[in-house]
Order: sequence, then structure tokens, then C-alpha cells
Amino acid sequence: MRRALLLSMLCAVTLQARAATYYVLVAGLGGEPDYEQRFTAAANDLDKIYKSAQGTVHVTTLTGAQATATQLRQTLDGIARDAKPEDDFALVLIGHGSFDGVEYKFNLVGPDVSASELATMCNRIAARRQLIVDTTSASGGAVRALERPGRAVIAATKSGTEKNATVFARFWVEAFQDPSADTDKSDSISAMEAFIYASKKTAEFYDSQKRLATEHAVFNDTGSGEPVRDAANGQGLLLSNFTLLRLGTSQMAANDPAKRALLAKKDDLEQKIDTLKYQKAAMDPADYKKQLTDALVELAKVQQELDQ
Amino acid sequence: MRRAAFILVMMLACSLAAHAAVPGDCWALHKHGHAAQAQSCFDGLTQSGNAYYRAEGFWGLEEWEQAKQQFETALKQPNSPALWRVRYGMLFHQRFNDKDAGDLFQEALKMDPQNAQAYLGMAELSTEGFDSKASEYAAEAIALDPKLAEAHELLADLELSNDEPDRAVAEADKAIALEDDALDAMATHAAVELIADRSPDAWLAKIQAFNPAYGEAYVHIARQLELHYRYEDAVTYYRKAIELEPRLWVAHSELGIDLMRLGKQEEPSQELELSYNNDYRDAATVNSLKLLDSYKNYNTFSDTTTILKLDKAESAQLLPYMQTELHTIITTYQKKYRMTLPGLVQVEVYPNHEDFAVRTTGMPGLGALGVTFGEVIAMDSPSARTPGEFNWGATLWHEMSHVFILTATNHRVPRWFTEGLAVHEEGQRSPEWSNRATPEVLIAIRDKKLLPVANLDRGFVYPEYPMQVNVSYFQAGTICDFIATRWGEDKLLDMVHSFARLQTTPQAIQQNLGESTEQLDQQYLAWINQQYGTEAAHFDEWKDKLKALVGAAEQKQYDTVLRQGPAVIAMYPEYVNDANAYELMAEGYKARGDAKAEAAVLTAYEHAGGQMPDDLKRLATLQQGAGQSSEALATLERLNYIYPVKDEDLHRRLGDLLYQQKQYDGAIREYNVLAASNPVDKAGAQFDLAQAYFAAGQKDKAEDSVLGALETAPGYRPAQKLLLELQKPPEKSN
Repeated sequence: MRRALLLSMLCAVTLQARAATYYVLVAGLGGEPDYEQRFTAAANDLDKIYKSAQGTVHVTTLTGAQATATQLRQTLDGIARDAKPEDDFALVLIGHGSFDGVEYKFNLVGPDVSASELATMCNRIAARRQLIVDTTSASGGAVRALERPGRAVIAATKSGTEKNATVFARFWVEAFQDPSADTDKSDSISAMEAFIYASKKTAEFYDSQKRLATEHAVFNDTGSGEPVRDAANGQGLLLSNFTLLRLGTSQMAANDPAKRALLAKKDDLEQKIDTLKYQKAAMDPADYKKQLTDALVELAKVQQELDQ
Repeated sequence: MRRAAFILVMMLACSLAAHAAVPGDCWALHKHGHAAQAQSCFDGLTQSGNAYYRAEGFWGLEEWEQAKQQFETALKQPNSPALWRVRYGMLFHQRFNDKDAGDLFQEALKMDPQNAQAYLGMAELSTEGFDSKASEYAAEAIALDPKLAEAHELLADLELSNDEPDRAVAEADKAIALEDDALDAMATHAAVELIADRSPDAWLAKIQAFNPAYGEAYVHIARQLELHYRYEDAVTYYRKAIELEPRLWVAHSELGIDLMRLGKQEEPSQELELSYNNDYRDAATVNSLKLLDSYKNYNTFSDTTTILKLDKAESAQLLPYMQTELHTIITTYQKKYRMTLPGLVQVEVYPNHEDFAVRTTGMPGLGALGVTFGEVIAMDSPSARTPGEFNWGATLWHEMSHVFILTATNHRVPRWFTEGLAVHEEGQRSPEWSNRATPEVLIAIRDKKLLPVANLDRGFVYPEYPMQVNVSYFQAGTICDFIATRWGEDKLLDMVHSFARLQTTPQAIQQNLGESTEQLDQQYLAWINQQYGTEAAHFDEWKDKLKALVGAAEQKQYDTVLRQGPAVIAMYPEYVNDANAYELMAEGYKARGDAKAEAAVLTAYEHAGGQMPDDLKRLATLQQGAGQSSEALATLERLNYIYPVKDEDLHRRLGDLLYQQKQYDGAIREYNVLAASNPVDKAGAQFDLAQAYFAAGQKDKAEDSVLGALETAPGYRPAQKLLLELQKPPEKSN
């Protein structure tokens, strides 16, 4: 996703080119064969997807008997040893969760792990940009414990009281398989794009089944306060900038010195378009359309030159 | 509210208080229109030392809460009689609380199992719910008290609702013979006359002789007119009721609801608010007001022949299909029925089934998908139902048939015929939409529960067993199918004309088919047995085999499923509902990786009328995989009649297929719907649309759409290329 802070994003993208991303995927205790199979399949699908991502990626997936608190702790300790501040870290929890009104627990084989224990483990990881995607039931009860500046937290449920098994994980996986999730056509899927995709598909699932929705996904990426459902008031920037999967070769041009001037021009135009869109409500519609068309035509020409 | 029968009972019960007024006296004054004396009488009762009298007094003064308090006090007295519970129950019934009313009637029956009044109360409750027990309760009341005129009045009303005017008249006469002021019986007489297009004046004069301001008689008549599709005439009688009794709030409310059925909004709103503000707040009034308020969320689309009211959230997704289909239907029916509709047809489409249900308040057949009020149709939106259980196209053809037939007959048509013809028309539009023998239909055929055609209306209004309404739809539809097969389609039109000339069912059948109703029944039953007799006879066997098949599928024993599935289908090929053999076999073929066989069984499912979107989409995928683009297109287009809303995938796939086949108008339609459905990939949808416009030579629209795509995703390269292409100056021709 693109936002106004394009130059800073460009820096981030450039850094990302060198930095690594650590993914940890955990399929918790299913309890029943159907859930066990579903959770494991989702984790394995994500494993394949993230391993296929461009750049330096490290994917660790814990399923079945491996999905224990001890194993999870060892995995995160290992990442804490290896990861650098410029690296990205993403933890995806799939399965059942519980919330007793005070504490959230992720159900694992053997002892469960609480949200505060998870937070402690993740806090030891140096990566400045972190993402925790908790797709379990009652996961809304984990958000406050997991919040920290520089960490985006996504939960499948708005609170710990939404305790029914969730379907969010299914659509989270689908977001990386369905090209339509790339809504800004940037050849990459950001955490925000995946969140929007999965939330929408989850809502549609309940709607089409004529069932009362028992999960409402939320996020917090400012490090404090209540989780929200939509990007606004500073919420959503980190998720938008957190690229989880690159689909194409958008990175290549950035590494070509001959095209830097064009890239700078492209950035200017993109910034101009963002500004125009921001001012749209206050502008004369005809004037808006003309200015937008001019800028988009110009941008298209620049891109054409870049592609040559 | 029926009061008369209680008057005599109470007068007798209270004869000890010879000098003071008793409730029966007061209610008699009220019934005969002596308002001032009645008020004074009820006032007197409120001063009584008897709590029950006070309750009746406050009731008569319409001071409901005080009346209830006094009833509570009265019932706490030791040995309080069953009759007091019945009366309290009737008060609850009058004040829209049928649950407590029913409990009190049952309580009274426990105390006194021979209490005819309690049975009458139960009959009243059942009548409003179109429950066939209404007649049983009324008959029980008469058995216990043969002189209970009100029970005969109620039976008369029920018979007329079932379109049995002769029986209605007989019951009404019994009531009048018992009590010469049986005003509701007289109202039934008047309704019978009106429904037969004769003057009701003689009966209205009799009513007025007893009470010149008895508005309830006109409400009674108006309700019957509505049940006989005479919505405009019902308005006239509700208005007369109000003219006679301006404070008759039930008349205001029902006038409002009837006017809504005729497509009006302002006057219904006024009438319903008036009722509500005067404490007449039954569910129908409250829900209708809420519905009127929700109309701000609807868009209205009008053209020269149609008005479509669609919820704003889905109007862009439904309009292109529904408006086109409506025009097709009108053209088809105009030709077939050789007539033109006098005005615009209004179709209201409700995404919330409860809103649609409000529109059917007071009408029989509550599980309906659509309902027609003259030239106004109210129906469920596809989004009101679980995908796969509803075909809006079939419903629209069905309801539009009613519009034509009601118009052609000036609303004089028996229910069985207009419903049967409408079902027949669904099958004429598409064999996949034709009348399907559901399990309850097979059971009814097997158990010989089909009704004689002369009494078939009874199966629609007061069904005697669960699902009888569905069975009656099937029977009426297949009777029309049979007539068309045996005598030709034109005979159905001839019958329409007969009904327009006020012929009865036996007359219309005799004149057009040359048979008596009994002869038609006999031939029809032979025909239906030929069609479904074997399936019906082996229904239990089929059920057992299907159960075994489901068990095998659950165990993933696909060899068993594929071996036994064809025989299960052959026993009952029409069965396409839950856990049908087609789907189980398709699953088996999929597991085996046999795409060709999977496509074949899904095609058979599709042709048998199967409509689950996931199955049809899977079939389309298989067809595409086999290079059968046209077949895939046809399969997906079926889905537009089933669930065209909230399905990005469907419209994207359809758009792509149409675009590939250079059917650009269709592609534009599908991509427009896709773009309007708030897709995840807004830019992609706009770009697809731009491409289709561009291919269709509509460059201005193509530019608007591509700009829409790039506004969302400025770096979208294919869209950028199209924008540059659109910016090229046109080539100069020499």
C-alpha cells in the first residue's frame, strides 16, 4: 500500500532490500481432527507462500507435536539471537485461543502460552518492525498485552469474548494466493492489504451463510490504545508499510543508478497524486479530474521509460 | 374483537345483581352503537365492588392497564371462575398479546374443560395465524355450546377465507338464527355478495339498523376483500369503517397497510402513525411504520413500464438483471395473455426477509418468497436468503404472472388457479425452474393427501398439515401443467377469461375442458401417479439408500458412492436439496481426479434444478478446463438468477468470459456490477471495465474507468498503458 510518506517509504524499501524477514508460523492444538487438519494446512500453506517470497526470508513453522510452548520459545530465542534491528519479524498464530477475562492463552500441545509470555519472547527480538497475527478465537483479548511501539498486532476477534472458532486464518492465507488482494497493484502484499482482504472475506463468509458473525478482526499498530477495525488517526501506517510478500520485480528499478532521476520524478508525481486525492473533497470536480488525469498520464509516461 | 356471545353469558352470570349494571348490559349498549350510554354504563362498572366488573368497566373505557390490574385482582380471588380468565385472555388478544391470551384460555380449559368460550378464544387466536386448528376449535366450541352464535360467525369467516362462500353463508345464517344481532355474520354475508360482484346493500342496511356506526363490519368485509386479492375495494371498505367510526384504530392501521400494498407511502404513513399515536400498536402497525421509515435506504428506478425499489447497498448489483428480466417478462406475458397492463408494475426487493414479511402481514403463506398486490410486487432479495435456496428469476416470473392474471380477471380468480398458473409459468420460462416434487410432495402423493381441485384453495389458506401449502403449490402447478398437456396451453387462457366472467372453478373447468371437477381430479391423479407414483411408492427405500450413500461419502468410501449413486439418482432424480446424490457423486469423482465424470454429474445436477453456487461454479471451472467456454458462460449466467449479490468472483469470471467471446455489452454489465460490489480489488475491477468499454469503442467511459483504477492504484501498469493508449490522438483519415 502506498501512503503519503513516500520518501521515507523508499528508504524503508531500500533497507528492506538488504534486510531479512523472519516468519514464525504456529498451528496450535486443534482438539478435533477437523480443526487439527485445518490449522496445519493453513500453516503449511503460509509456509510455502512465505518461503517463495523474494529477498532474504527465514520461515519456521511449528505444527502437530512440534507446536509446544517450549518449541515456540526456542524458535523465538533463536530469532532473538539472529535478527538485527533492520530486519522484520512476523509471528502468525493459527488455532484456538481462550480468554478468562484477564489473560489470553494460545492453545498449544502441552502447556498453553499466554499473551504476556508471547510479548516477553517477542520483546527480546531486536527487529524494529514486528507483526503478530493472532487468528485464534478470543484473540482480541491478546492485543493489549502484545502492543508495543514498532509492532503491529492483528487479532481475528475484537475482544476476548468472541470465543467461537474463527475462519479468519483461512482468508489470511487466501490473501497471498489471490492476486486481487494486491489492491494498489504494487506487486506486493502488505500486512494491511492482507488484513483488509481477510476481514472482508470473513464478513462475507458469515453473511453468505446467514450466520451471525462471531468474529470481527481488529488491529493496532501504534503500540498503545484500543485496537481498531479501520485505518485512521495514525493507525494503519505500519501495517501498510509492512510488506509480507513480493509478487513481481518492482524492486529491480530501484537498484539501477541510471534510472534514479526517473524514480525521483515518479516519487514526485505519486506524492502529487496523493495530495490531489487528499484535497479531492474540497476541489471542483472538473478541475480535480483534469489535474488527476494530467498527473496520471505523466506518471504513466515515466513508468513507461522506467520499464524500457 | 367479538363481544356479542359474552353479553348473554354475562347477563345470565350476573343476574343476581338485578338493579346494578352488569358487563353484558354495557357491551350490548356498545354493540348497538349507544356510545354515551355505554360509556356511562362502563363508568358505573368501574365503581363496582367487584374487581371483575371493574375490569370490564375499564376495558370498555379503553383504559387498558387499569383493566388488566383489575383482572389480576379478580383472578386472585378464591374460586374465580374460568370465564374471567377467558375474558382476561380476550383483553390480551385485543391488546396484541396472543401468548398471554393463549395461556389464559388454556388455564380456563384446565379449570373447565367444557368451556366453549375458551375454545372460541383459541379459535380466534388460530384464525389470525392462518392455523387450520381455528376450525377445529370453533367446532369444539359449537359442540359444547350449540347456541354460541359467535363460533358460527367465526366459522363463516373461515369458510369464506377458504373460498367456500356457500358454506360461509350457511354458518352465517346459523349465527343469525341464534342471535338476530349477529352483526359479523351479516358482514360475512355482505362480503360474500361483494366477492360475487353483487350488491351488499341489503346486508349493510341490516347491520346499520342495529348500529349505524358499526365500523367493525366494514373492517371485516375489507379483510375478506384483501384475502380475495381485491386490494382497491378493501381500501374503500376500510375508509367506510373509518367514516362510521373515526376512532376505530384497527381500521386506520389496516387501511395504511392495504395502501402500502398498493404502492402508496404518504397516506399509509399518516394512517399508521395515527393508529400508533392512539395506542394501537400491534406488530403489524409497528413493523409497517419501521418499514416505511427504512424506505429512505432504497433507490427507486422508473422507466416506461416498471418501477423498481432496491436497497441502496445492492441496487447497482440487482438493477441490470432485474430491470432487463422484467421487460422480458412483460413482453412475453403481453403476447401470451394477449393484453397490456394498464399501469406501471412496481417491484420492491427486500434484502431483509423480515421487512418482506411485514409486507405479507395478515396474508396466508408466510414462508413465501414474493407476494403480489395487484400491480405491486414485494419479494425477497437474493441476499435475504442463503445462497442456493432462492431463485429470484423464477420468483419474478411467478409474481408477474399474478399481476397479469389479477389484471385480466379484475382480481376475480381462485387462489389455486392463479398460484398454479404462476408455478406453471416458472417451468415455461426454464425447465430447471419447473415444479419439482419435493419429499413432502411425494409423501402427499403416496398418502393420497392431494385435495380435490374444487377445494384446493383450502390447502393454501388454512393448511391442515405441515407443508400443505408447498404441496398445494405443487398440485396447483401440476394441474395447470396437466391442462396444458392434455388440452393445450390456450385452455389456460380460456380459463382466465372464464374466471374474469365470474365463473366458479367447477363452471370454468366444465366449460373449457368439458369435464366435471371430479372427472378432472380423476384424470389428473392418474397422470400424476404416472409421473411420480413409482418415486412416491419407493420414497422410504430411496431415503434409506440416500442415507447409506451419505454415510459412505462421510467415510470417503467413494467407490461405494460412485457405484450406488446412479441408482439413488434414478429412484428420485428431482431431489437436489441437502445431501443429494449428485453432489456426493461429484465429490467422489473429484477425489478420483475424474474431471469429465465430475462435470457430467454436475451438469445433470444443474439440469435437475440444482442451484448451489459452489457446485455451479465448480462446474463452470470444469467446463472452462475442458475448453467449453460457452457452456461455462451459460452455467455462470444461471448464477445471476440465484445469487448475483456479494459475489465478486462470479462477476469477474463472467465478465472475463464475455470479454473473451467479444460480447462486450455483457462484459461491461458484469464488470460494472463487479465494480459496484465494493470489491477488494477496486482498481482491478475498474480496469477490467475500462478495457471492456475500450473494446466496445466507448472511449469516454473507458477513460473514466481507467482513471478510477489509477486513482486507487496509480502505479497499476496495465491501466497506465491503457490510459496512454486512450490519450493518443485519433489517427487522421485521408
